[in-house]
Amino acid sequence: MKLPAFLTETRLNWLGLFVRLILGGVIFVAGALKVTAPYKAAAAMRAYELLPISVANILGYTLPWFEVGVGILLILGIATRLSAIFAGSLMVIFILAIASAWARGLSIDCGCFGGGGQVAPGETKYLQEILRDFGLTLLAVYLYLRPHTKWALEPASR
Amino acid sequence: MVNNKGKSSGDPITRWLVIGMVALVVVVGTGISIFNNTSKKTAVLPSAASVKDGYGIVFNGDLKPVIDVWEDFQCPSCKAFEATNGDALRALAVEKKAKIVFHPLSFLGPESVYAANGAACAADQGKFLEYHAMMYKNQPAENSGAWSNEGVIATAAAAGVTGAEFEACVNKGKYADWVGNVGSEGSKQNINSTPTVFINGKEVDRASGAYYSAADFMKLLVAAGIK
Repeated sequence: MKLPAFLTETRLNWLGLFVRLILGGVIFVAGALKVTAPYKAAAAMRAYELLPISVANILGYTLPWFEVGVGILLILGIATRLSAIFAGSLMVIFILAIASAWARGLSIDCGCFGGGGQVAPGETKYLQEILRDFGLTLLAVYLYLRPHTKWALEPASR
Repeated sequence: MVNNKGKSSGDPITRWLVIGMVALVVVVGTGISIFNNTSKKTAVLPSAASVKDGYGIVFNGDLKPVIDVWEDFQCPSCKAFEATNGDALRALAVEKKAKIVFHPLSFLGPESVYAANGAACAADQGKFLEYHAMMYKNQPAENSGAWSNEGVIATAAAAGVTGAEFEACVNKGKYADWVGNVGSEGSKQNINSTPTVFINGKEVDRASGAYYSAADFMKLLVAAGIK
């Protein structure tokens, strides 16, 4: 693919750094806020009413740690492409889950950054949550297409 | 940190070292989270607790109707529920008109654990209801440091719950594992917020207003057979 002249290799590497830090930072913080409150994370997971209660509980305890892990990898710039695939898939699943909650008329907070569970019917923020996750998905797609970034521990990231 | 050499291949040792460490963090963290939220069969139970009632503290085990109260001593809405309906619940327990099961959850943090452990210690002294009322009356801001074990002992003393046995029980965190079991039971029973009250197994509707209206709550109790 022929890129416009102003998108030099160096500039794209810098752009990649920002994309990596934003995506990795958001996922890391989202996970870190939840690992300290596993009971709430499990409750937020159950509130989607998509999984059997026991599965939702286990996932509620587990998922925040995976977010922390993939967040660290993105921030450090290790296995950027793999991490981007994981992060992007996660975002797509989140979007589907939130959209499904919206479509079923549930009144829940996404629980993305801790919290979660039922909220008053007027206090849902489904559209904002989906748009935010869509934006993060685009960042993940960018890193998948161009995992080379500035200041990565692993310059030729796979 | 900055490594601009070796552009073509990178450093495989760094790669696998970091991936390995991150994987270790994820696996160990997951293990701890699951372990901490799984019921422990070895947990010491307060004498009033009943395993088949979700480890709750039970009053009048043989009676009907059954009222289950899932709460967190640090939760402001639970304080409001207690201020509205606490007297009625205590009367039902004391006058033996209903079976009441208290489930003290602890998802707001460590001070909820201390408070719930203290509740079990107070139950052993036959003073659970007194302790329960006094703790809510003096509820501090969440995890402000007020409910250390000393703070719990001081608040309990104001309710007349005292003695070396009680203090040792609080200080040792004798029932900390039991508190964990109550929590994992809450997860199993899909308790997503506090307070959550069940009357004869039916969840009191949050939209009904009964949590914060003594008259509406009483209507539900009467409908369930309370005279």
